[in-house]
Amino acid sequence: MITRKWIERIEGEASVQFTFEHNKVSFATIAFPHFRGMEAILHARPAMDALVITPRVCGICGHSHLFAAVRAIESVYANSGFPLEISPKAEALRELTLSLELIQNHFKWLYLVIYPELSHLVQCPIADSFRLKGAYAASLATKVLAIFAGQWPHSSYMIPGGVTCDPTYVDTVRAMGLLDELIRWFEKELTGISLEEYLHLSSTKALSRLSGDMGDLDKMLRAANMHKQGFSYDRYCVLGEHGFSKPSKNINKRTTKVNAKQVTLENPYTVDEKTYAKNALYQNNPFETGPLARAIINGIPLIKHLHRSFRDSTYSRIMARSYEIALLLNHCKILLQSIRLDEPSFIEPHKKITSLSGEGVGIVEAPRGPLMHKVTLNKGIIDHYALITPTQWNLASGSPQTPGPAQKAMIGADSIEIATFTFRAFDVCSVCTTH
Amino acid sequence: MKPRLKLLWLQGVTCNGNTHSFLNYPHLSYILETFEFLYHPLLPSTYTLEEISTCAHECDILVFEGAYDPRMERVGTSLERVVHHYGNHARYIIAAGSCASFGGMFKHSDPEHITGLGFDEKEPKGPFVKNSKLINLSGCPIHPEWMGYTLRMIADNKPISIDELHRPKELYSYLAHHGCTRNEYFEWKVDSDHFGTKEGCLFYKQGCRGPMTHASCNKILWNDVSSKTRAGSPCFGCTEPDFPRTNMFETKTNMSIPQDVPVGISKRSYLTMAGIAKSFHIPRLEKRLIDDNT
Amino acid sequence: MKSVPEKTANTKKEDRKTSIMQTALKLFSTEGFYTTTMPAIAQKLGMSVGNFYNYFSSKDQLAKELMLYISTVLGDKLREINMTDVSVKEKITMIVHMYFSIARERPELIEYFLRVFLSNREIFTKECTGMVCVSGFVTELMLFFDDGVQRGELKNQDFFSALGLFMGYLGGMVFLNGEEVLPHPLSEYETAIAENIYNALRKQ
Repeated sequence: MITRKWIERIEGEASVQFTFEHNKVSFATIAFPHFRGMEAILHARPAMDALVITPRVCGICGHSHLFAAVRAIESVYANSGFPLEISPKAEALRELTLSLELIQNHFKWLYLVIYPELSHLVQCPIADSFRLKGAYAASLATKVLAIFAGQWPHSSYMIPGGVTCDPTYVDTVRAMGLLDELIRWFEKELTGISLEEYLHLSSTKALSRLSGDMGDLDKMLRAANMHKQGFSYDRYCVLGEHGFSKPSKNINKRTTKVNAKQVTLENPYTVDEKTYAKNALYQNNPFETGPLARAIINGIPLIKHLHRSFRDSTYSRIMARSYEIALLLNHCKILLQSIRLDEPSFIEPHKKITSLSGEGVGIVEAPRGPLMHKVTLNKGIIDHYALITPTQWNLASGSPQTPGPAQKAMIGADSIEIATFTFRAFDVCSVCTTH
Repeated sequence: MKPRLKLLWLQGVTCNGNTHSFLNYPHLSYILETFEFLYHPLLPSTYTLEEISTCAHECDILVFEGAYDPRMERVGTSLERVVHHYGNHARYIIAAGSCASFGGMFKHSDPEHITGLGFDEKEPKGPFVKNSKLINLSGCPIHPEWMGYTLRMIADNKPISIDELHRPKELYSYLAHHGCTRNEYFEWKVDSDHFGTKEGCLFYKQGCRGPMTHASCNKILWNDVSSKTRAGSPCFGCTEPDFPRTNMFETKTNMSIPQDVPVGISKRSYLTMAGIAKSFHIPRLEKRLIDDNT
Repeated sequence: MKSVPEKTANTKKEDRKTSIMQTALKLFSTEGFYTTTMPAIAQKLGMSVGNFYNYFSSKDQLAKELMLYISTVLGDKLREINMTDVSVKEKITMIVHMYFSIARERPELIEYFLRVFLSNREIFTKECTGMVCVSGFVTELMLFFDDGVQRGELKNQDFFSALGLFMGYLGGMVFLNGEEVLPHPLSEYETAIAENIYNALRKQ
């Protein structure tokens, strides 16, 4: 029996067709029906326009697109024999604002998607105001981001050679004040213990003992048996290089090097349904990307411990993403302290962009995993632009022989509700997927 | 307690940037107390999009985000049908962002078919063309305070006066230039040699559209703290019907003379004033603002 | 018939100022700037030196006002051409003609610009820096170039590259004419010069 369901509120919608056998999901296909043709919009424009246009791929992770676009153009410079010098200050600011976008994203996903859906599953309703906590925390994070980037969403402050802003210590002090406020809020609302203590937890038992929203999350996830389902390939891939992530893959608990050239696209598998999302694969295999992948590859003690007991269950996936908030808050704090304002924000490229030709690839870790921008320039004009987004990895719609990570995770679910929750645990971005 | 106004938030061809920008609004609890969201892409809502798409309900306010493509379907239903049904019954139709107002970024996906709700760039066109209920809150994305202002004015039954492009005058009579921290550099024609400095004006080389853009970005700051120009980025003119233009990081000049000059000022007046101002060397404006950090 | 109102004291003073400037211009351009003294100008006008200083407090001030005056005269003429609805090519012909006509009819205006303003920059550094004293004319030239590029007739290039080509050429011809090097009257060169300028500036 095949049942079709629209999954809403995933930065757009997806259509999922579930096949049931013996009252369990035996297979599911995923279709993303909306398409905007971002790559075509970019064609024939001056390279710098990509810094304005690509953030508009996505309202929730546009800053990641900006970063990928700037890295792609800088990679064209490097490939043409003119590597750009980026000051440590500019690097730190880029990484800081990217991290803040990830934090913002995770808070919204947690409070506006996961809690409401989970409370529905375990029949323990939450108040509307509870969900607003996600918006509040996210807006604090983006406030810090905007001090340097001017605004969120849709800043274009990263440019080849650095950043456009020239902050003073008044700005960094203000940012630290707001970040401290966000950390205190996190401690009070989510964990009931200090950020430092939380970062030092190393056992799942300690998670269950937490008093804040994280404690409730743990209890509700267990009540819904989420630690016993949602298993996927247990195979992970990280491609973006940052202070909080290193490009690697992890198969059978072994972490090894990756080469972005091994990333390929395959046509999606759907039945009588149009989808615009191509599947992203590494060496022709599906890999899970995102916070769980980053934590496994980084060897984060708590997540490794959790993974030993619950593998890549929905519980692990959700806990890893929530825990990443704490890791990133701490990362931001260190970055902010480290920034030296006497360094230049921007170092002018020696070669004019209007004389730049060649190919380049920019990769960053977006909230949901690796985001790749590939660009070909001809005298500074975009000849070709290609995007590969994280949801193309996690929400790939493969054939029954090689289902994508989310497809595989949904197999065995007792009901559409459970399967849908499993789906949402991956944090889906529809607009990025089809772009 | 007054019954809450029914608000429906629909999306066309979009990036969801307006949804996310609005989530930064500091008074969301007021919004939830005052409005019942029949549907919103993230906030708690009474119905699912599928239920809304049956057209079995009615709303007081229709908020539409994204460009309008009459051929588009969402959750298997024609967008045209849903938009007409709710728009015709609503008391107000709010175009949230530049795509919904003028076609914006995603008009470029298919310029022939895609428009805003009442305008195709600056030409009247679209499902609610010349409709007095239409309020355009252009911007890419929308500024949360601009949306907050509009909703509260509606809730309090206060009139909103609009310009010829249906934008509230109280928000769009200002230029993005007003309140820019680089104003003095503009006055004395001291340009910013390159990006990454707090000194200098971005109008001459870096493509800043501040003096030609109707927006209160430097009066009502973004995320309460900053703006593009304060962060050293040029204004891209994202509230205007011609957004996105091409070559946005460069000022279009003809023989070094800016093609566009501040709104409502003749080029002759501008060039006369600019030529004279540029003749003076003012050491205070030519050096770094703060020496220690350089 | 209405009676013509009597000229006000201010207008009278302005008229007098203009006639002083015209005389000064002639003297400066024929006798040279440094050799012409303030009393000499007063004498030529039949004014007392004391009264003369009521109009111009110093020679530097006179020099500056003369440049402003010339710039306004040329600027007004150029503005008329700018407002004419003809092609850029025709405008170039009109500008060349206008410039050479002035050089012929009021040579002191051009002479002053070439021989005094450009050659004695030290006089003008204080109050005539940059565009301050030539703004009337240069603004109109900017508008002319801007319009030419917008219409797609002229090549988009640096302003000063175009300015130098245009005005340097015209100034050079007037200079050669003044040195009596040219075998023909200036007017006979107008068509060829306009065409050369157009060809040099036009969009390829």
